[in-house]
Amino acid sequence: MRSKILIIIPAYNEEANIKRVVDNLIKNYPQYDYVIVNDGSKDRTADICRENHYNLIDLQINLGLAGAFQAGLKYAYHMGYDCAIQYDADGQHRAEYIESLYEEMQKGYDIIIGSRFVTRKRPRSLRMLGNFLISIAMIITTRKSIQDPTSGMRMLNKKMIEEFALNMNYGPEPDTISYLIKSDVKVKEVQVEMDERVAGESYFNFGRSLAYMVRMAISILVIQGFRKRTTSYIQDSEV
Amino acid sequence: MMTILFRVVLIFVSFCTSFFILRKIRQAKMQIEDSIFWIIFAGAVLLISIFPKIADYCASVLGIYSTVNFIFLFMIFVLLIRNFYVTIKLSQLDGEIKELTQEIAVAQTMNKTSEQSVVGKEEIEGEEQ
Repeated sequence: MRSKILIIIPAYNEEANIKRVVDNLIKNYPQYDYVIVNDGSKDRTADICRENHYNLIDLQINLGLAGAFQAGLKYAYHMGYDCAIQYDADGQHRAEYIESLYEEMQKGYDIIIGSRFVTRKRPRSLRMLGNFLISIAMIITTRKSIQDPTSGMRMLNKKMIEEFALNMNYGPEPDTISYLIKSDVKVKEVQVEMDERVAGESYFNFGRSLAYMVRMAISILVIQGFRKRTTSYIQDSEV
Repeated sequence: MMTILFRVVLIFVSFCTSFFILRKIRQAKMQIEDSIFWIIFAGAVLLISIFPKIADYCASVLGIYSTVNFIFLFMIFVLLIRNFYVTIKLSQLDGEIKELTQEIAVAQTMNKTSEQSVVGKEEIEGEEQ
């Protein structure tokens, strides 16, 4: 029987990591389906996927994380998966926690975030300061506390897959989560552990982190409050 | 020095900009990334009109005789830089559309060719029987 859970792995220039990450999933977690979304990588990421006959969506052009993840969600939507999880290609996420995220989702949540700081304390570093500030911005606007808003490990249920796949401004970022919490979507965090990136380079240098922070702050504090939730699925259910 | 009327005009411009941008977001007709610049721009204009001392100070530091001239110069520079980035982005998008159109058309032609060769073989086999 086909799995109900799809692991979406957006990959941009991950030739050093992709084989290790995907082989681990295939070997140790055959109960889950997966799809790699190659986001127009300039290195051998796509070649490695084809050589190993991985399940691959090969984007011709670099769309950025939001566009790549949405491509994966469109696949999940059309294939009718019950649940999709965003999974890093650099090996930071551990597949052993997918089970506990899925169990929590069965209790009636729409989005489950694999969070590093539910039961553990957030370490004090410059990088975590950004995480803390976004968390504050979300408390101000939603009155709900999310301990690890920048975690990239997010699980969506069927309803959310459709909403994320078919609409504009549904990037997998804290501002979307903030907006959805405000419109009464049920979001829950589950404690997970994450590994450090083994090889390759992170997208976030200092300048990009700063630009990201400014964008998130303006988006969460100003823009999200003006959005109207008119999605195809809501219109359908109201009719 | 800025007249009260000029400050009111700037505040009006700031609110109009915000209103149009936020309306586009509300209608889901604009991506949030692209709206950030306009929100910051509107914020800066509002700041200058509420605290005109900022503009006075900048003008005197740069040796510009009138504050209003500084504001004109500032806006021209900001919009010029913005235009520069928009031109680059537009050029990249143009290139990407060309690439995608070609890729899709070539893929469709290749599909058709392979279908035709399959159909062709079947027809020949059918005639032989």
